[in-house]
Amino acid sequence: MSATLPTPGPSASAVVPALEVRDLVVRYGRAPGRLRRRASAPAVDGVDLVLAPGRTVGLVGESGSGKSTIAKAVLGLQAVSDGTVTFRGQDLTSASARERRAVAADLRVVFQDPYSSLNPTRTIGDTLAEPLRLQGLGAAQARERAVEVLEQVGLPGEVVDRYPGQFSGGQRQRVAIARALVCRPEVVVLDEPVSALDLSTQAQVLNLLADLRDEHGYSFLFVAHDLGVVRFLSDDVVVLYRGRVMESGPAEEVTQRPRHPYTQALVAASPVPRPGEQAERRLARERLGVGSASTASADPAGCPFASRCPLATDTCSTERPALRLLGEAQVSCHHAS
Amino acid sequence: MTSPTDQRPDLPAATPVPPAPGAQAMPVPPPPEQVRRVPRGPRLAALRRPGPAIGLTWLLLVLAASLTSPLWLPYGTAEQDLARRFEGPSADHWLGTDDLGRDLLTRIVAAAGVALTASLVTVLVALVIAVPLALAAAERGPRVERWTSRVSEVLLALPATIIMLAVIGVIGVRTYWIMAVLGVLISAAVYRVLLGVAQSVRQRLYVDAARVDGLRSWMVNARHVLPGMASVVAVQAAQLFGVAILIQSGLAFIGFGPADPEPSWGGMIAVASRYVYTAPWMMVPTGVVLALTVIAANAVADGIAAHAASVSGHASSGRRSGRVTLLGATHGRADDVRLAVPAGAGTPLLEVEGLRVATTEGPELVTGVSFSVGAGRVVGLVGESGCGKSMTARSLLGLLPTGVRLTQGALRWEGTDLLAGGASADKALRRLRGREIAMISQEPMVALDPMFSVRSQLVAPLRRFRGVSRREAVGLATDLLAQVGIVDAARVLDSYPHQLSGGMAQRVAIALALTGEPRLLVADEPTTALDVTVQAEILSLLRSLVTDTGLSVVIVSHDLGVIADLCDDVNVMYAGEVVESGSCEAVLASPAHPYTAALLEANPHVPEGEALPHRLPSIGGTVPAPAAWTSGCRFAGRCRFATRACAEPLVLTAAPGVPVGAVPDHAVRCVRADDLSLTAAPEEDPR
Amino acid sequence: MTAFVLRRLLMGVATLAAAVLISFLLVHAGSGSPGAVVLGPSATPEAIAAKNAELGWDDPLLVQLGDYVGGLLTGDLGVSLADSRSIADDMAARLPVTASIAALATLASGILGVLLGVTAAVRGGWVRRLATTGAGIGLSLPQFWVGVVLTYVLAIRLGLVPATGYTALGEDPAGWARSLVLPVLTLAVGGAAIVARTATTGLEEALRAEHVRTLRAMGTPEWKVRYVHALRYASVPVVSVLGIQFIVLFGGSIIIEQLFALPGLGQAAAAAVSSKDAPVVQAVVIVATLVVVLVNLALDLVVAALDPKVRTA
Repeated sequence: MSATLPTPGPSASAVVPALEVRDLVVRYGRAPGRLRRRASAPAVDGVDLVLAPGRTVGLVGESGSGKSTIAKAVLGLQAVSDGTVTFRGQDLTSASARERRAVAADLRVVFQDPYSSLNPTRTIGDTLAEPLRLQGLGAAQARERAVEVLEQVGLPGEVVDRYPGQFSGGQRQRVAIARALVCRPEVVVLDEPVSALDLSTQAQVLNLLADLRDEHGYSFLFVAHDLGVVRFLSDDVVVLYRGRVMESGPAEEVTQRPRHPYTQALVAASPVPRPGEQAERRLARERLGVGSASTASADPAGCPFASRCPLATDTCSTERPALRLLGEAQVSCHHAS
Repeated sequence: MTSPTDQRPDLPAATPVPPAPGAQAMPVPPPPEQVRRVPRGPRLAALRRPGPAIGLTWLLLVLAASLTSPLWLPYGTAEQDLARRFEGPSADHWLGTDDLGRDLLTRIVAAAGVALTASLVTVLVALVIAVPLALAAAERGPRVERWTSRVSEVLLALPATIIMLAVIGVIGVRTYWIMAVLGVLISAAVYRVLLGVAQSVRQRLYVDAARVDGLRSWMVNARHVLPGMASVVAVQAAQLFGVAILIQSGLAFIGFGPADPEPSWGGMIAVASRYVYTAPWMMVPTGVVLALTVIAANAVADGIAAHAASVSGHASSGRRSGRVTLLGATHGRADDVRLAVPAGAGTPLLEVEGLRVATTEGPELVTGVSFSVGAGRVVGLVGESGCGKSMTARSLLGLLPTGVRLTQGALRWEGTDLLAGGASADKALRRLRGREIAMISQEPMVALDPMFSVRSQLVAPLRRFRGVSRREAVGLATDLLAQVGIVDAARVLDSYPHQLSGGMAQRVAIALALTGEPRLLVADEPTTALDVTVQAEILSLLRSLVTDTGLSVVIVSHDLGVIADLCDDVNVMYAGEVVESGSCEAVLASPAHPYTAALLEANPHVPEGEALPHRLPSIGGTVPAPAAWTSGCRFAGRCRFATRACAEPLVLTAAPGVPVGAVPDHAVRCVRADDLSLTAAPEEDPR
Repeated sequence: MTAFVLRRLLMGVATLAAAVLISFLLVHAGSGSPGAVVLGPSATPEAIAAKNAELGWDDPLLVQLGDYVGGLLTGDLGVSLADSRSIADDMAARLPVTASIAALATLASGILGVLLGVTAAVRGGWVRRLATTGAGIGLSLPQFWVGVVLTYVLAIRLGLVPATGYTALGEDPAGWARSLVLPVLTLAVGGAAIVARTATTGLEEALRAEHVRTLRAMGTPEWKVRYVHALRYASVPVVSVLGIQFIVLFGGSIIIEQLFALPGLGQAAAAAVSSKDAPVVQAVVIVATLVVVLVNLALDLVVAALDPKVRTA
């Protein structure tokens, strides 16, 4: 569980984390055509997370929570405004292209949309070989490795010469996973890898990811919006709302015994396929008294959830709650217990 | 001033200069369902169309003829025969002669070389400037883009033809140089089109993936971005080629072309125009060759564009949309067991029987779906992508997409078959739409008209349905918005759709659906695009509408949780048919079909307090494509209980547990339903 | 919205500055000198040099540019080298000719194009195929050739309109209209083709759009769906294209004015280039750019009025 807790100092953890994010702030450039002085609200606002080797941390939140932005910042696809991203103890925050290339084989990604994540004009083999060739592998060896990793993800090796257009969504996502694993990485960022898939395919891909992790010891930074999916794959969970961490801790703890009012709202809102139980959950959700998402307004000084929160007091809109330990989880709330 | 974008603002592959309203919407990845069903038709059609091939052949032929002309042309270009001036076609002069008795064919062919190669210079210069700038601006983002775009805007506003004249004034008539200047001036227009394409290609995730691979920036551009732009670059080049030929000959026409006796197309037409009173034939051959050459270039451009559009699955169809016609009147699968009518209701509000939907040229998408909706009931249609649930829902309004038709079945509204006597579903349902049946859909942001305010979108149907004055209608609209849970109705009334959040837009869409006080609401994945907390709010709203107003709802969803939350009855669809049907409680608590059971097991939302399984039970394979559907059980290929008997045709039968002889409230399409006990603890995934 | 207009105005000024600079540099990059143009081929080098000095040609470039811009700001475009007349007066007389041809041609393109395009989109089938093929050919035909063909048919064979020449509006309105028929028709062939294509694709896209399905699902009468909602949606690209067409036709007038002997800007430009009358060439570039800038600004405002997304941005 130490994986997501902001460690107080270097001594707290003997192992060097695979990935560490400290006080991350990402501000998108101003919207085009707007006046320059009005700085945008940060998409990610002071997020900490630690990913220990072999562990999986789930980043969960709704649209606008900043979860995908964190993933992009980690991968160097999004400029960081403030804070640090450290990979195996090496600061990547402002890494040059050359430094990035040096860790490219060890820090990989699987994207959400299996349709746009594979170049339709290149064969599966070309796509899989690209990172290997950049690492200096010969063409024949790269192809051999591509076939091997395709079989690992449950596809026949001969698909190496086919084009992405010939595959279904689930199969494409397997290819995308193969591309992430082809250079035997340490950390894989999974950016909503199953959100675009049908339920039955989603289960196949989740099982595959779990199998591969258990077998090879990868660390996953798993971005998702579905708590059930996050709970299945993650050891630890970080719940985000409007770029801020609301709650973080062991997956079972956060998803089964949520303490932050926002996490509670999130858990209560996701429907279960059992009519009786769902009716009870619905009543429980209504009893929570969480304000409608459409009434939400952000006050940068206070808690971003304050305007919807049933527990909110004046303090909440003026004072930013710090993360504090409640049970096994860290909760950013003045009133949660 | 002319530019390729000006000439052809309708490039399908590029979304060029004038953006349509709504075009700025986020690029939504195509749902798997659509991609899998890309019709092969348009692609072939694009290749079948002879235009582009003929165009290309013509261009190459003209160029080859011109380059080899000294070898075979019977006359010299300046060879005069003053005795035979102004002649029409003859055996000696196939295309006739000009004012000095020179052979027109010879001069036309000889002039073609410069016309085509100089236009090529324009194309190359424009691309050499525009492509790297577009790539750089797309890669470096707003900081670079702002400046390149401003410069291009200035360049674009300069009157190109007049500036070219000024250049001619300085350097004289040097065709290749002048055409190169045109290339510079026109590169701004090309840049603007290519910038849009480069930006959209850069948003594709495979570009990000290549960056994560550690590919150098220029390699990312060369290997991933540029190939994605290739078809638009080709289209632009072909169009630009045609424009360049036109401008070049236009300049020659007004006397800024090669000096006589050297032939040029524009110069020849200028001469012809002088003698148009006496020798009208003279302008025919040159004009036709010039026009054909430009038409050829544009045909090549159209061909590339159509091909690219069909490959990317966005081929436009010229057919009328939203039309459905009824073919036969025989009902399929008539021997399906009929479910009990829900208690407390007489005639159901809507009965669907033996509904079949097919594409015009291809396979069936829905094969014999039956269900009924009682007053105040909520009926769910659930299944994965490609199961035909959305097509079924859209049939209920007679609004199927272009190229898809309702081919068979009965739609009984309060007992009366709307399709009786072969009536078209579109027509038959028209009088019910809005008044009796309304619809909300998956993407609330695009379901509302982007050009009109919420106020006018609500007021128009309110006045039409309720016959009230404008003022009363505004009052009613405010009430409706309040009813769907919008607090600041006044502000929302004055908003435009793009100013609303997704959840707010869906509330407005529901308010719109309620303007005609319908008795049935068809909701097609109404919460799929929304966040989970917003989804819960919309589901609560729908539920309160059902309990407060007695509204009936048919809801389509892929999410069993949504179904469990809202539905009284549920129909599980698989590959175009209902495989299990009954009360929500019965179907979800004791599934009788292996597919239903498997879907439930694959759901990671386990009952409260229960531990998650170590691995999720999953279904191998994918939903078969419509062309591969059989008359036997279509799930058999993925079913772990499948036996040889599963290949036999089968009907819906009473589910196990329904007393023999009773009218069943739970039916299943599975030959082994009786000997399976699916509610037992889920087995491990056999994968 | 105010910021938007201000920004567009600023861009317009930048464009004008670019036009001034480019035309100025082009004039000075040439090998000839104004003195030689004024005095003709028989002049002695000494006389030419004296004339050049008189015209300020020997001053430093920056001084000349400053003088020229200073003149521009007071509406002074200099004098023609050929006949020493005020260029500003000449432009003022010629601009209405070119502008009215371009405006009428745009109007004709708009009406014809929208009718054709909407019919194609709504009727579909062979009507659409015919219309799009026709439009494809229409925009490929060289304007000057179309002009000659139309002259032959309408003026020579049928004698309906005069083949060439221009009658001023003040002189004889009917004659004015008749003298514009051929040039306007000639320009409208290509313009209508482009507008028709835009209208067809725009309307078809609108009719496939999700919000149109919503309207149909609400039982909205089909004529309203098509001609109020879908057409409004398609109007933004059509209006943009019409604006661009005006600019294109304005530039195309060089050729048309030559063909029909119309005393417009294009004719002045062509004549000035032939006689190396640099100040006139320079003036035409600047006046034409000014027109483009103003039309673009008007276009932006019309689009903003039509499209709430632009308006409320």
